[in-house]
Amino acid sequence: MIKLANVSKEYVIDNEYTFYALKKANLEIKEKEFVSIMGPSGSGKSTLMHIVGLLDKPTTGKVYVDDKEISRISDDELSRLRNEFVGFVFQQFNLINKLTVLENVMLPTIYCRKELNFNPKERAISILTRFGLDKKLNSRPNKLSGGQQQRVAIARALIMKPKLILADEPTGNLDSKTGHEIMDLLTELNKKERITVVLVTHEIDIAEYARRIIKIRDGEVV
Amino acid sequence: MKNLFFIFKSAIDDFSRNKMRTFLTSLGILIGVFAVVVLIALGLGLKKYISDQFEAMGKDTIFLVPGKILSGGGFSGSASSFTGTFDNRDIETLKKVNNVVSVAPIALKSTKINGLLKEDFSDIMFSSESLLDVMGLEVDVGRFFDRSDVSKRAKVVVIGGKIAKDYYGNAEEAIGKKITVDDVKFTIIGVLKSKGGGGMGGPDYDSYLYGPYTTGFIFNPDKKFFRLSVKTVNENYVPQVKEDIKKEFLKRYKEEEFSIIEPTELLSAITSIFNVLNLILVAIAAISLVVGGIGIMNIMYVTVSDRIKEIGIRRAIGARKSDILSQFLAEAVLLSSIGGILGLGLAYLAVLSVQNLFPAYIDLTSVLLALGISSAIGITFGVFPARKAANLEPVEAIRYE
Ligand SMILES: Nc1ncnc2c1ncn2[C@@H]1O[C@H](COP(=O)(O)OP(=O)(O)OP(=O)(O)O)[C@@H](O)[C@H]1O
Ligand SMILES: [Mg+2]
Repeated sequence: MIKLANVSKEYVIDNEYTFYALKKANLEIKEKEFVSIMGPSGSGKSTLMHIVGLLDKPTTGKVYVDDKEISRISDDELSRLRNEFVGFVFQQFNLINKLTVLENVMLPTIYCRKELNFNPKERAISILTRFGLDKKLNSRPNKLSGGQQQRVAIARALIMKPKLILADEPTGNLDSKTGHEIMDLLTELNKKERITVVLVTHEIDIAEYARRIIKIRDGEVV
Repeated sequence: MKNLFFIFKSAIDDFSRNKMRTFLTSLGILIGVFAVVVLIALGLGLKKYISDQFEAMGKDTIFLVPGKILSGGGFSGSASSFTGTFDNRDIETLKKVNNVVSVAPIALKSTKINGLLKEDFSDIMFSSESLLDVMGLEVDVGRFFDRSDVSKRAKVVVIGGKIAKDYYGNAEEAIGKKITVDDVKFTIIGVLKSKGGGGMGGPDYDSYLYGPYTTGFIFNPDKKFFRLSVKTVNENYVPQVKEDIKKEFLKRYKEEEFSIIEPTELLSAITSIFNVLNLILVAIAAISLVVGGIGIMNIMYVTVSDRIKEIGIRRAIGARKSDILSQFLAEAVLLSSIGGILGLGLAYLAVLSVQNLFPAYIDLTSVLLALGISSAIGITFGVFPARKAANLEPVEAIRYE
């Protein structure tokens, strides 16, 4: 579904030397897979995930989405792909606190320019109800517990019926019990709804929820 | 455009959280729109006032004045050629021109007036019986002087309402009484209806006395007039009569020694001067709109910096650059429109409060202009911050703490 070929991400530091956040990384993610990306802090996990999620572009190398090379795709088209095919879940939840829980979950639908085959509000409520958040629809996200906020973030990632969910240390800010609940949720989405899940973590017990573990060190896939 | 609702809702949420900041930011636009709308309203009022005055004079009337005062639609300002004055022979010439109904010569004298209650300086206008018609005057009590008063050189006057009130208490009291004009006794035979006006440098016809021009020769031994008013059959004859008068007068005077003026011509000349003046004032007021716009730009830059993370989140879930652009642009436009609407409302109240003193009014164009200008300022000054927001790299924005 998504393929990275010799992808490097370089940052020029103080106009002096080039730092490689990613070094000639090769990676293929197949449909309906559950993959973990593991590595120490600063190894380039988030960078890799941002490139896979079309939020960032590599300095060199090629990224293919369904065999289509993305460097020729316009910014608007990349936005559309993020909107329709990818759902992001972040360690810091990244919800917009001035919007309500329900509005946060519905937010991706307002950026979609094609006809939706569902009612945004009904679908948002049904996902939130399934996640046990039906009493919190009109709350502000910052009034919720970490586990609840992460569930809202997952609900937002799911609203557009994405093919791929990218979770960057989704349990990083949660206690281990809540962390495992979130992991069970992601596993269920992968098993029952056949959504591809890419998980970034540095904890081995979290990584082991996945069938395949990719290790990364100093920007290189090992 | 289903996101338009969301865009405006989130902008309004934001404003209600920062009411004070929103108000202060839109204050510049508020003041600018207020000043512009009020000045336009005053300009419109002035124009209406002037054209009403001309309306009363009648479109079928032509004036002759010495010298060249109008050229190419504006006042030439060369009052230096204000030399020659007209005499009885000119009146006779005018009377012979086809389709001329009446001729009113005008001589003015500013002098000491002695009435029952008061002694003061005032203006007296000596003319023919046609003046009533030519100037659109109306008699309140008594009568205007007639043809026989003119031929008999009768010492009678008709006085403005204000003169009657100041010198005799009221119009009825004044009728039949004597009034002394520069030591010559006149009998008051009529009082005019109030025409309003004056107070803005223009003539206040309520404070004038009117007498037969033949009687006026007492003070005017040269028998000269500074203005001749000619009434035609109706306004359709004005151009032809003008031509004929010109032909006749050129036999006696040089081209630059007299001017033939149509009220409409004069009106458009005066109006064009006021338009220019008004435009200058409005342009000065518009500077505060620019200052207000800069204030909005400043706050929008702050807003964008405050919300980099939010922009990153929106980009990650599929917002296009254009979505971010329109979100921030909408906020800027809303901000300046709030100022515009408040400014317009305030201007309305201000105009309402001066309306019984002055015929100022706000027309639909001003309303549309105020709303148009304020949203245009929102767009102009909002576009730079909005573009900054739209052009943020999504990944940089989402990593931003
Ligand atoms: N804009 C940037 N400019 C310079 N260096 C950057 C920039 N963004 C990321 N880096 C560097 O790239 C490297 C990889 O960053 P990345 O966030 O991918 O690490 P990570 O594996 O996700 O780490 P963590 O587990 O701490 O989140 C880091 O050393 C980071 O400092
Ligand atoms: Mg990271």
